[in-house]
Amino acid sequence: MTEQTETKKDTVTVTVDGKTFEAAPGELVIAAAERHGIYIPRFCWHPRMKPVGMCRMCLVEIEGVRGLPPACTTPVAEGMVVDTRTPVVKKAQDGVLEFLLINHPLDCPVCDRGGECPLQDQTFSFGPGESRFVEEKRHFEKPIAISELVALDRERCIQCARCTRFADEVAGDPLISFVDRGDHTQVLTFPDDPFTSYFSGNTVQICPVGALTASPYRFKARPWDLDQVESTCSTCAVGCRVNLQSSQNDLVRMLGVDSEPVNHSWLCDKGRFGYQAVEHDGRVTHPLVRKGDELIEASWSEAYAAAAKGLADVRDLHGAGAIAFLGGARGTNEDAYAWAKLAKGVLATDSVDCQLDDGLPAAAVLGLPRATIDDACRAKAVLLLGPDLKEELPVLYLRLREAVVDGGVAVVELGPQSTGMTRHAKTTLLYRPGEAVEVARALTSGRDPMPDAGGVRGEELAAAAGILGRAGEGVVVVLGRPSVAESGRTVAEAAAVIAAAWPQARFLPALRRGNVMGALDMGLAPGVLPGRVGLDAGREWFSQEWGVLPEEPGLDAAGIVGAAAEGRVQALVLLGADPINDFPDRTLARRALAGAGFVVAVDTFLTDSSREADVVLPAAMYGEKAGTTTNIEGRVTRVNQKVTAPGTVRSDWIIAAELAQRLGGDLGFDSTAAVWAEIARLAPSHVGLTADVLGRRENRDGVVAPYEGEGPPRHEAPVEQIEAAAAVHQGETLPSEAVAGAPEHAAVDEPSDDDDPAGAGRPPLLTFAVGDAGSTAAPPAVDAYALRLVAGRRLYDNGVTVRHSAHLAGLAPSPRLRANPYDLDRLGLGTGDRVRVTSSRTTLTLEVAADTGIPRGSVALPFNLPGEGAADLIDGTQPVTDLRVETTN
Amino acid sequence: MGYFEGFRVTFEQLFRPRVTIQYPEEKRPKALRFHGRHVLNKYEDGMEKCIGCELCAGVCPARCIHVRGLDNPPDAPVSPGERYGFVYEINYLRCIHCDLCVEACPTEAITESKLFEFSFSNRQDAIYTKDELLVADDGQPKHLPWEDWREGEDLHTSAWVRATAPNGDADYEGRVAWSAELGYGVRPPEAGQLGDDDAGAPIDDITVEQVAEGGHH
Ligand code: SF4
Ligand code: SF4
Ligand code: SF4
Ligand code: SF4
Ligand code: FES
Repeated sequence: MTEQTETKKDTVTVTVDGKTFEAAPGELVIAAAERHGIYIPRFCWHPRMKPVGMCRMCLVEIEGVRGLPPACTTPVAEGMVVDTRTPVVKKAQDGVLEFLLINHPLDCPVCDRGGECPLQDQTFSFGPGESRFVEEKRHFEKPIAISELVALDRERCIQCARCTRFADEVAGDPLISFVDRGDHTQVLTFPDDPFTSYFSGNTVQICPVGALTASPYRFKARPWDLDQVESTCSTCAVGCRVNLQSSQNDLVRMLGVDSEPVNHSWLCDKGRFGYQAVEHDGRVTHPLVRKGDELIEASWSEAYAAAAKGLADVRDLHGAGAIAFLGGARGTNEDAYAWAKLAKGVLATDSVDCQLDDGLPAAAVLGLPRATIDDACRAKAVLLLGPDLKEELPVLYLRLREAVVDGGVAVVELGPQSTGMTRHAKTTLLYRPGEAVEVARALTSGRDPMPDAGGVRGEELAAAAGILGRAGEGVVVVLGRPSVAESGRTVAEAAAVIAAAWPQARFLPALRRGNVMGALDMGLAPGVLPGRVGLDAGREWFSQEWGVLPEEPGLDAAGIVGAAAEGRVQALVLLGADPINDFPDRTLARRALAGAGFVVAVDTFLTDSSREADVVLPAAMYGEKAGTTTNIEGRVTRVNQKVTAPGTVRSDWIIAAELAQRLGGDLGFDSTAAVWAEIARLAPSHVGLTADVLGRRENRDGVVAPYEGEGPPRHEAPVEQIEAAAAVHQGETLPSEAVAGAPEHAAVDEPSDDDDPAGAGRPPLLTFAVGDAGSTAAPPAVDAYALRLVAGRRLYDNGVTVRHSAHLAGLAPSPRLRANPYDLDRLGLGTGDRVRVTSSRTTLTLEVAADTGIPRGSVALPFNLPGEGAADLIDGTQPVTDLRVETTN
Repeated sequence: MGYFEGFRVTFEQLFRPRVTIQYPEEKRPKALRFHGRHVLNKYEDGMEKCIGCELCAGVCPARCIHVRGLDNPPDAPVSPGERYGFVYEINYLRCIHCDLCVEACPTEAITESKLFEFSFSNRQDAIYTKDELLVADDGQPKHLPWEDWREGEDLHTSAWVRATAPNGDADYEGRVAWSAELGYGVRPPEAGQLGDDDAGAPIDDITVEQVAEGGHH
């Protein structure tokens, strides 16, 4: 929680139920009392939303105040004396509960909330015990599906307005609201407009009754047969804290945990319901080895032998440089480190990339000065040069949206198309795909008058520059890949330009895959080694421990795929990567898989790519393994195991270690704890960040790397013990639970001082400057007949998680080509028409839609939706993809 | 004489009435509220009483009940309301017949018969499935091939037994607070539960006297 640094004059003294304490001025009585262990019952108040005082459950007596004021709308004042347990208050509580129960059905035994229901609990603790009402209750049609994910039972609703306030205030998707009056009041969606918010699951979590329930969890379990562990969501790189709940060894639910620096208790629906993929029947559960045209089930030893032989043959015949690794951004830090050590320290190849040319160059991500999410939310101005945050990093969108709406942070958006953030941005500069660098140069030039650049008018640039200031002071740049149809290098180069002009600006990477930041930190990218150091800078440091190291910097994903297509990369190891669906250029990815003589896939499902492999090694998924993960800020948190993996599935780091052995190496660890111990000893940005440090109570929200150490070591009980002792009723803030998996970590010996190489010889961390992104070919001149492609992403896509989650799969939209109405008019087209779209790769037939959020001269087509789409059109060898759009017939 | 003296007890016993019986051909009557193997009851219209709420599983001290609920199919509902017990299993290697599940059930779906004589040759068979526990179409427990049922053991299975239990709430004594069931309708309150002049139904075959004679030791 927040640091308490108030001095005497900044606090007020209040007395609640005879207990006198200091509270912050303006703090609400209900919150101040709760911090001091006095629980005032409530239904409508939620610590992360504005109070409304609707339910009257929190009435208290305050000396000198007439009547019973609600504790949730009354701020503390100096000398205030509050009583929460007097007979008058008790009578009021009885009354409120009796009133709420008049129309509340006796559904508890079949209600998903039964057993963990605030209405049940508070009726039990504060209610009258018996009802005087025998009349018929109000009736509504029993649960109605207000979306694919949420069911609403209006009979159970107590009109607390938590859900409607969440949708309106927090998510900004006001799709549900109250209709009718009096005892007919009901929550409802608008006709023909389902509750399609990406954040709808949060309303289920905060509904104090079982009125809103989640369809994926419906009737799956009851609270008393759930088992839970605290973990971190690994669906995207925001790294929301979650409680992972299982029943009978099946994951059945994820709940958001309130982490102050990260997710404020919220989750997005993809993160919340994506656990369904873990339980999917189609998992690969045993190793597969290719015999002729078929993948045949094999034992692990056969599969390891086949994989090792294939890799060793290529190494011996063509050299280590002919082996490349793709992927690895979905596992734990330990998994990533193990793969990096196998690739670079055993096989000595540097052609390793955890991104599939759909992110940013590692040097830019690791080398730019980093900001945290809180920094961005408290910045003077935020420059957003990245993807649609609402689609790719949903909870980061929630945080930034709140910062804009409540905190007045000014957002300047720079991108090839408008996004979910556009309506909250002070200004949105829509540039021509591929020309971000020109815009960045102009924006930071300080010229007056400002010239037009990259398709953006000078006045607009001047206005944006006015918001951002001249030196980048207080500016946080949220940096990601706005479109996979333009090269990531241009975006990195633009960032370098900004960093050079504004030395005070800091950067928050907006890359999406679950642990992509951890994978980069652990060295799963060309030219870097674990701990954010360059290959050459870290050579000496690592060669002492690792033995061999790659001679030369290797290829990045684009290079690897290109080289494999030409037969220069002979062996490909896919670490959960599916280049056919995730690499921007599908044609090239197909050629690469065909061109690589030997392919090993370490995967959870058979994807279009792993089906082509010679050996498939089944890997454990989220919830089936423990370790640590790293979010966009560099925040290292724990992920924990909740269920056992199916079949003979193993964790990635084990597979890496076993393969290493068969390749004549030894990774030198035998548990996740040992892997982490090595990271905390060797990786320069993580030195000293031991399991013990991570387990400390004050680090429950994780530790942001690079770890700078701390003052004198504190001898404190580890988190789990303190947690157990301080188990208090927390109402709606889910008490974050004891961190399981810790014993494993705790068992590791910390390196003693003399074998800690900290300090002496530790290589410097990477920095990133103009030119470091490598040469970027200038985009070709705009052709008046062509439209330039913008390929962003959608939250629900054709990825492994969504495709295998029963309730999410149907939510992926079908691809539509969106263009500015002006361009459509010019072509004589209207929304709904079908057109032939031709790029240098192929021709597709697609439906078009008019969208004023797309600048003239561009067309947008989301990447990786089911069926043919952007990946078929994109030509990865070009800096941008130009399309010709013609009417069919 | 010392020699015969030693047989005195033996000879005396020879002429006393026998207390042992020829088990299993012959069996002692069981207590009225004896806890045997469970049954899952149905309403008169044939709907299942179980709503799959898992309260029984939650309360079971031996953790031997496994229940999973599912949405009632709208066109052919299995139980009244939204939810029904889709999976219902009791592991009789663990059940201690405490009847807490019966107490916990909000719909009187799970109750116990008098049957306790059943044995298995493997662990899997000791797990009774929903199909085995569910009463037959006449409302009587199914007599499964490996079970040794005797006359009357399948009669007192309803919630009636629980609702009129002497340790129940005195306010409810003699009041019909249980639901009707398949094959029996609403069972009347037990004799002696309605106060002095009540005309409660006689208990059919197993009487309280029998219980007193032949009850547990
Ligand atoms: S549905 Fe739930 S959260 Fe919404 S108003 Fe009703 S009780 Fe409150
Ligand atoms: S925003 Fe990301 S980390 Fe948070 S719940 Fe969604 S997928 Fe998980
Ligand atoms: S009788 Fe007792 S032990 Fe047996 S299933 Fe019921 S609650 Fe469990
Ligand atoms: S038997 Fe009763 S307590 Fe058990 S699940 Fe069915 S309805 Fe619930
Ligand atoms: S009125 Fe205070 S919690 Fe609802």
